[in-house]
Amino acid sequence: MQIIDVLFWGWIIQATLTLGTPLVLAGLGGMFSERSGVVNIALEGMMLMGAWAAVAASWYTDNPWTGVFAAIISGLILGAVHGVISVKLKGNQIVSGTGIILFAAGFTTLMLWVIWGTAGASGQVITLPEVRVPIIGLVSPLTFAMLALIPICWYLLYRTPFGLRLRAAGEDPSTLDTAGISVENYRMYGVLISGMLAAIAGAQMSIGFGSRFTIGMTAGNGFLALAAMIFGNWNPIGTLFAGLFFGFLQAISYGVQFAPGWEWLIGYSSFINMIPYISVIVALGIIRRSVPPKAIGVPYIKEKQV
Amino acid sequence: MTDSSKDLESEMGGSPPKTMDGSMTTFLGSMWEQITGFFKWHNLRRSLIQVGWAIMSIILALLVASLIMLGTGFNPIVAFSTLIGGALLQPDIIFWWATPLILTGLSVALAFRAGLFNIGAEGQLYMGSMAAAIVGFMAMLPIFVHPLLALLIGAVVGGLWAFVPAILKAYRGAHEVVTTMMMTYIAVPYFTTWLAAGPLRDPTLIQPQPQTPAIWPTAYLPELFGSFYLHFGFIIGILCVIGVWILLKNTVLGYEMRAVGLNEPAAEAAGINPKKMIVISLFLSGCLAGLGGAVEILGYYHRFYAGWSRGLGFDGITVAVLGANSPMGVLLGAIFFGFLRAGAIPMQTVGRVPAEMIDVIQGLVVLFVAAPKIVEWLAKREISWAQWIRKEPMKSLPIFLGSLFALIGSMILLAMAASMFGTLMVLDLIPNLPTLILTDPYMAMHVATLSLAIIFGVIGLYVFYALLRLEKRAIWAFLPLSIVLIILGVVNTLIFGGSLLIPLLVIGILGFVFAIWSYIVVVRQGVIFGGEF
Repeated sequence: MQIIDVLFWGWIIQATLTLGTPLVLAGLGGMFSERSGVVNIALEGMMLMGAWAAVAASWYTDNPWTGVFAAIISGLILGAVHGVISVKLKGNQIVSGTGIILFAAGFTTLMLWVIWGTAGASGQVITLPEVRVPIIGLVSPLTFAMLALIPICWYLLYRTPFGLRLRAAGEDPSTLDTAGISVENYRMYGVLISGMLAAIAGAQMSIGFGSRFTIGMTAGNGFLALAAMIFGNWNPIGTLFAGLFFGFLQAISYGVQFAPGWEWLIGYSSFINMIPYISVIVALGIIRRSVPPKAIGVPYIKEKQV
Repeated sequence: MTDSSKDLESEMGGSPPKTMDGSMTTFLGSMWEQITGFFKWHNLRRSLIQVGWAIMSIILALLVASLIMLGTGFNPIVAFSTLIGGALLQPDIIFWWATPLILTGLSVALAFRAGLFNIGAEGQLYMGSMAAAIVGFMAMLPIFVHPLLALLIGAVVGGLWAFVPAILKAYRGAHEVVTTMMMTYIAVPYFTTWLAAGPLRDPTLIQPQPQTPAIWPTAYLPELFGSFYLHFGFIIGILCVIGVWILLKNTVLGYEMRAVGLNEPAAEAAGINPKKMIVISLFLSGCLAGLGGAVEILGYYHRFYAGWSRGLGFDGITVAVLGANSPMGVLLGAIFFGFLRAGAIPMQTVGRVPAEMIDVIQGLVVLFVAAPKIVEWLAKREISWAQWIRKEPMKSLPIFLGSLFALIGSMILLAMAASMFGTLMVLDLIPNLPTLILTDPYMAMHVATLSLAIIFGVIGLYVFYALLRLEKRAIWAFLPLSIVLIILGVVNTLIFGGSLLIPLLVIGILGFVFAIWSYIVVVRQGVIFGGEF
């Protein structure tokens, strides 16, 4: 194995982790929401808002960790909006998600004008302090957070009463209601956690591996995260592997630009980027191993008390 | 006829239309009944209520958008006046923007009536526009045939792009929201861009943006009224509105589609094949979106640019949602959003408010339409308030006026907080704010006023809401709010040299009067709060 190969594959691993982190984080977020029975296509908007909030807060305080904090707050706010509309007010979850995506896209662009006075990109901010790992190179701290979150989420979802109730809200809400537990509350928790994780994913995109916010910078990564969650069959470990796999494909499509012997692939990097979307269609429609929670997308309406 | 099919009939309000193979006169006769029926009072009233709901959502969205503008330091009055004035000066741009929105809106609405959520109209639009562009520059055809063939192929390719999710939905149960979205991401940033950058790239151009060669002039759609923007596609859009309306109201196919959308098990029990309906309706939906892309390429752009539409397909969801998924509603909704888009550029150049404000408004409209309960609640409140004011004006007026003043006061407070925050931002003082507060009394005063303004701005919003809901504790919060308004008015003028003294004083004093008045009315006379609501 030559030294150039070691460098190249080290770079690929680093890029996979860096590009896969937002997908896994947002995918975990989508998982919490969908496991509780609320479709969350608003992940894209929540990520965009988180990315903007992280950059804006870092810009004013010169501290990237306040950026992460601000991203969490923005995610909680958007999660609360989605939750109130789709859980409390029983509105259409997909329409509400679409509204949040549109609102976030418009609002972040507007705020670029307000804060930096430019149409395209924000000013440069300090990125999160990266950690040096042998062979791989610099890795964002949020990547470690993501890796630590996988077992935590798994434990929370499958080994605690909270997780059981959350899953029951998505699978069989009337039983949960019979047990005297509020379905609405657990769905709200799911959506709030979802907004928070998606916003952290956005922060990873803006201050994790870049140092600025650009218009529409999530560019479909929210939907890719949704795809990772579906491909990972709505569970944390599956989401991790699916997200890293999609990150790996993105890394390859960048890597072919300079990888030795791979020049012939440059014209076809669009097709490498298509693989995640095609694999989701295949997983959902043809293999049918991915089975969504049963009560997903249906607002739960309590029976009238006699 | 089974029970469930009877349920279905009562649910849908009528029996299925007669088949078309009878005679043409009965078909035309039933159409005439439909058209006259549209103008009958109860039908008209139902549509008016729908329009009223849409308008309420728009007003609420504009209110929140004004708050955002105030918070970010723009003047909403200037913004809206330049928007409306600018749009009215160029009515052709309104209809030019509306043209693709009509078609994508119809696409989403038609699928929705069959119980399907086609959020992938953007991808179908791109595939349709690419196909139309290919026919436009590759084929050499005479003048009428060429655009017709390009439109047809554009529509069919758009339909085929929706056909894959349709088949997967009908026969494999894959949810169409996910699959249509995935198909969109395959088409928009990757497949069509690859085509326009690689095999079909115009070899004579040196611009970096991927684009195909220009279409032949024989394929152009004619312009309307000599406008540079407006083209024959608008007429096609209107024809499609009428077509979809007839399809849904007057044909067996449309009836079966709606039946599947309303109640799939009942429709199946009544002998309708839901799988077939899912495939047909999603295919037709894709055709409409593809047609929307094709008319824009043939009528205005005259070649395919990568990323030309900037979300027309997603805006179609907004239009359909606002138009309550009815063809006429879609037409009105598309014209409304065309109006906003046409006014966006004048708003930016003349009013100095970024055009992205339109996207914010659009998102807010969708959010408010998504939660009909907010609008419903407000409508009920308004009606009951109007009744109460007419019945007992002396008791109800102070509370009603008080809530209005709380709203105006809180808006001024939030705007004040925003401008003070803006000063801090411009002077770049935020990073070392903690030390500044401790050392500089002026700064401490500034920050204290700022936080007071924010806190009482939020309290004012709460008071407005709570007074409308007739909660007794709102009155207790209302009195300090008025006092703070007066104090802040004085502080703002004397210390910071602001110009908010008069409005804050007026609102504060009036609010004070209303607070005392409602206190006397409610507590002393023991009015039962909201007794009749």
